[in-house]
Amino acid sequence: MSSASVPEASSTPQKRFSNLRGVRWRVDLGILPSSPSASIDDLRRVTADTRRRYATLRRRLLMDHHPPKDGDASPDLTVDNPLSQNPDSTWGRFFSYAELGRMVDQDLSRLYPEHSGYFHTPTCQAMLRRILLLWCLQHPEHGYRQGMHELLAPLVYVLRVDLDHLIQVQKLHEDCFNDEFDGIILPESDMISNYRSRRIRNWDSGIEIENNPYKVSNGLSVGELDPHTREIFLLSDSYGAEGELGVILSERFMEHDAYCMLDYLMDGAQGVLAMASFFSPVVGSSTNLPPVIEASSALYHLLSIVDHSLHAHLVELGVEPQYFALRWLRVLYGREFCLDDLLVIWDELFSSKNSSCIDSDVEYNFKVLCSPRGSFVAALAVSMLLYLRSSLLATETATTCLQRLLNFPQNPDMKKLIEKAKSLQMLALESNITSSSSQRLSDKNKLNVSRGYSLPSGSAMPKTTVSVIPDSYWEEKWRVLHEDEELRKQSNSESSSSGIMKKILTRKLSLSRTKSEPLEGKNAQSQSSVRRRLFDDSSKDIVAEKDHVKSECYVPAFVLDNLNSGKNFTEKLVDQRTSDCMVEETLLSGNSSMVLSTATSPHDIGNDHGYESEKSSVTSNSFLGDNDEETLSMEDPCSQNHQDEETINMEEHCTQNLDNQLAQDVEATSSVVIDTVPEQVAAPKDRKSFPGKFQWIWRFGRGCDEGNQKSLAGYSKKDSCNISTCDAIYNSNGVNKRTEVGDKKVMDTLRSLGQSMLENVQVIETVFQQDKGKSDNVPNNSLGGKGQGAAITALKELRKISNLLQEM
Amino acid sequence: MVLVLAIGDLHIPHRAPDLPAKFKSMLVPGKIQHILCTGNLCIKEVHDYLKSLSPDLHITRGEYDEDVRYPENKTLMIGQFKLGLCHGHQIVPWGDLDSLAMLQRQLDVDILVTGHTHQFKAYKHEGGVVINPGSATGAYSSITYDVNPSFVLMDIDGLRVVVYVYELIDGEVKVDKIDFKKTATTQSAH
Repeated sequence: MSSASVPEASSTPQKRFSNLRGVRWRVDLGILPSSPSASIDDLRRVTADTRRRYATLRRRLLMDHHPPKDGDASPDLTVDNPLSQNPDSTWGRFFSYAELGRMVDQDLSRLYPEHSGYFHTPTCQAMLRRILLLWCLQHPEHGYRQGMHELLAPLVYVLRVDLDHLIQVQKLHEDCFNDEFDGIILPESDMISNYRSRRIRNWDSGIEIENNPYKVSNGLSVGELDPHTREIFLLSDSYGAEGELGVILSERFMEHDAYCMLDYLMDGAQGVLAMASFFSPVVGSSTNLPPVIEASSALYHLLSIVDHSLHAHLVELGVEPQYFALRWLRVLYGREFCLDDLLVIWDELFSSKNSSCIDSDVEYNFKVLCSPRGSFVAALAVSMLLYLRSSLLATETATTCLQRLLNFPQNPDMKKLIEKAKSLQMLALESNITSSSSQRLSDKNKLNVSRGYSLPSGSAMPKTTVSVIPDSYWEEKWRVLHEDEELRKQSNSESSSSGIMKKILTRKLSLSRTKSEPLEGKNAQSQSSVRRRLFDDSSKDIVAEKDHVKSECYVPAFVLDNLNSGKNFTEKLVDQRTSDCMVEETLLSGNSSMVLSTATSPHDIGNDHGYESEKSSVTSNSFLGDNDEETLSMEDPCSQNHQDEETINMEEHCTQNLDNQLAQDVEATSSVVIDTVPEQVAAPKDRKSFPGKFQWIWRFGRGCDEGNQKSLAGYSKKDSCNISTCDAIYNSNGVNKRTEVGDKKVMDTLRSLGQSMLENVQVIETVFQQDKGKSDNVPNNSLGGKGQGAAITALKELRKISNLLQEM
Repeated sequence: MVLVLAIGDLHIPHRAPDLPAKFKSMLVPGKIQHILCTGNLCIKEVHDYLKSLSPDLHITRGEYDEDVRYPENKTLMIGQFKLGLCHGHQIVPWGDLDSLAMLQRQLDVDILVTGHTHQFKAYKHEGGVVINPGSATGAYSSITYDVNPSFVLMDIDGLRVVVYVYELIDGEVKVDKIDFKKTATTQSAH
C-alpha cells in the first residue's frame, strides 16, 4: 500500500499529490509531513491528530460560552450577571462572542459573490463562521480582522475541489471504492462514507440492481489502477491508520482540515511568513514597524533595486507602499485576482519554503524577505508593479496612481507574472542581507538576474530590459509623457488635485489684486527664476496657472499707481504684496510638492532695474523652448513690453518703445491666455472681465492705444509668472503635500477676504467706467475728483484687508 | 438568550433626581432586548433615556406619570413566554398576591410584572410568576420611606427564565438569581 505513494521523483522534481491541491497545500503548509518517504499511513496519523485537536477545541469553546445552567456551583453573581461590566464573566464572554459573530457574519456575506453558489450556501457559511470564530477565540490577541475570511475561503475551496475530484474518480472505479464483494451491499446503519451513502441512494432507486445483477465495472482491482487513482484510493480509504478519522480526503472533516490549514497559514508554522502578524498592529521586534508596514517597505526596497525610476516616481507622488500593499499582502493577493488565478499563485507561494534561509547571526534588512515564501510575496508584488509600469509612470497624482494599483487588470498574463516573480525572488533573498560581502554577492546576483531578465525573452514583458537601459532614458521618456499630459491637461481643464490647487490659488491671487508691482526690474529675477523653472517639471502647470491667474491681478496695481502716484503708496502696496506673497507661501506649502534647487526671496523681486534685464529675460525665454508654449509666447511679448510698463508707471520715463507688432502678439497671446484661463480656473467671471476692463482703464489712464493696454496685461502676466515662480520656489523646498489639510481653514478665511477685496476693486473699476464714459484720452492723473475719492476709500478698505492678511 | 429589563417607579424628578450611578453604569445600550416599565417615570426625559437603552420599550401608566397616553395594562409575547405589565395602583389591596393573581388570570400571562409598592417581590404562583421590580431610584412610596433601589433583569431562554435581581444595598450592588421553568403543558382555560 505504501509503495503507491512513491512519487515520480526520478523524472522531474514533481511534487507529490500534484493534482490534489488540498493535500499538497497541507504538505506545503507543514501540516502533513513533506518528506517523500512518508507513507500514507503517516499522513493519516497526522491528519487524525489535527482533526482531534480541532474537535476538542470546538467542543470546548462552542459549548462553553453559554452561561452556566442549573447544577453549577453558584458563581459569584455580582460578577456573573448579564449586566456585569466585567469582561471575564461568562456573560462578558458571551457578549464579546456575539460581537465577533456579528463582524464575521458581515464579512462572510460579502465573500466571493461571484462564487456564491458555493460560498453562500448555509452549510458553507456556517462552517466558515465556526472556523473563524474558533480561531479568533483561540487567538484572542489577534481577534478577528477583516481579510481573514478571504484567506480561509480559498483553503476551503481547494478542499472542496479535491473532494469533487475524488467523487469523480470514485464514479469511474466504483467497485474499487465500494466494498462490494458479492454484489451485495452490506447494510451499514451509520453511513459514514460519502460515497457509500450516495451509492445507497442509487441502490434504493432500484434501477441498478435490476439492470445489472452483475456489476459492470472496469474490471480493475486496486493493484491494477494507475498510480494517480491508486493514490486517491489510498487517500480516501477508510481502513488505513486511524480509520475514518484518517481519511485524508474527507468531506466530514473538511472543517477540521480547513481550520488546520488556516491555523498553520496564520502562524507560519515556525516559519517567517505568519499571516497573523500582518493583521496585528503590534510592532515587530527587530524593526519598530508593524509587520505589514515592514513588508510593504521590503516591497519598495526590492522595487528600487529592480526598477529605480518607477520607484522614484512612486515615491515622488507620495504613494506609500502600504496604501496598496496592505490589501495585497493581508489577503495574499486574494482581492486582485480571480479565484482560479489566485490558486495558481498560492500554489507557487506555498511551494516556497517558509523557513528562514538566513543564519541567525547574519543581519538582514527585512524580516519578511528572510524566507523564500516571504520573498516570493514581495517579488510577486514587484512583478505586479512592473506589469503596470507604463500606466503607473503616466500618472500624475497619488490618487490616480492608487486607482490603477488597486484596480489590477482583470485577466493578466499569469504565467508572465509568476515567472517574473520567481526571477525576482532570488534577488529579494539576496538583497535582504546587509553584510558587505553579501552585498558584492548581491551585485553579482543582480547582474545574473538582469541577464535572467532577458531569458524569458519570448514571453518577456518590455520592462525586462530595464536594467540594461540607463535610467536617464526612462526619465526622458517620462518627462516627455509628463509634458504632453500637462499640455493636454491644460487644454482639457482636467480637474485633479492640482486643479484644486489652482482654485485655491485663484482665490488667493484675487487677494493680491491691489498689490502693486515694484516695477523696478523684476526682470533680473525673472531670468533666474525662469531658469529654475526648467528644473521643475511638476510645478509647470501650477506655475502656468498662476501666471494666467495672476496676470490680471497686477493690473489694478498699476492703475492704482497711476492714480496715486505717490511713492509711499506704492511702497505700502509693495509691503502688502510681499506679505501677500508670504501668505501665499503658506498656502502653497500645503499644496505643492515641488522640489527646486534654490529659493528666491520675494523681496528681491522688486529691486532690480533697467531695460537690460529685459533683454536677458528675452534670452531666458528662449531657454523655455521645451516648456509650455503658452507661457513662452506670453512671456516673450511680456518682456518686450516690460519697458512700456515701467515708463507708464514712472511718470518721469515717458518713452514708449511700443512695437505695434509685438503688441499684436501680446494681444494674440493674451487673448489666448485669457481664453484658456476661464477654462482652467473655476474662478468667478469677474476675472474674465478684468482684461477687458483693464484695457479701457488703461486707455482712460493714458490715452494709449490698444496695444499698450494689452502690453500692460501682458507685462503683468510676465511679472506674475516671476512672482509665482519665486513663490513656488520659495515654498516648495522640501515641502510636504500632506500639510494641505491643515491649510484649508486658512484658505477659507483668505478666500472670504479675497472676495471682499474683489468687491472693493470692482468699486474702483466702476468709478473708472463712469469716468471713461465722460472722457477719452484723458491723461491719467486727471480723474474726476469724485471718482478719485471713491477709489481712494476702496483702496483704504483693501489696505485694511491686506493688513489683516499680514497678521495671519 | 433574550434579556428583558423590568424597571419602574423611578419618580423622577419629584421624589428622586436620577438613577443611582452604579445602576446607570450597568445599564448600557446593546445588551438588553426589551424593557418593561411598570410606570411612574414620571417625565419624558426618563422615557427617552429608557428608549436609548433598548428600542423595544413598553410602559404602563402609573398615577404620577405626566404622559397620559400610556395604557393601563400591556401584554406581549417574548420567546415562549407571555408577559403582562401593569402599574399596580389599580389593584387593591396594593401588592396583594391573590389580587395580582386575579389580574394574571385576567390577562392570561405567564409572567406578570407590576410595581407601585416599591418593594421587590417575586412569587411563583399557579404556574406563573409575579414579579415586582421595586423602585429603581429608591423613591419613597405611599407606604414606606425605607426603599432600596432595585430592578430586575430576566433572561428568557426557551422554556426557562432566569430572574436576576439587582439591589443597591448600602451603596453596593447585590445580585440575586431565581430560576423559573415554564411547564410546556400549561394551557389557559380559554
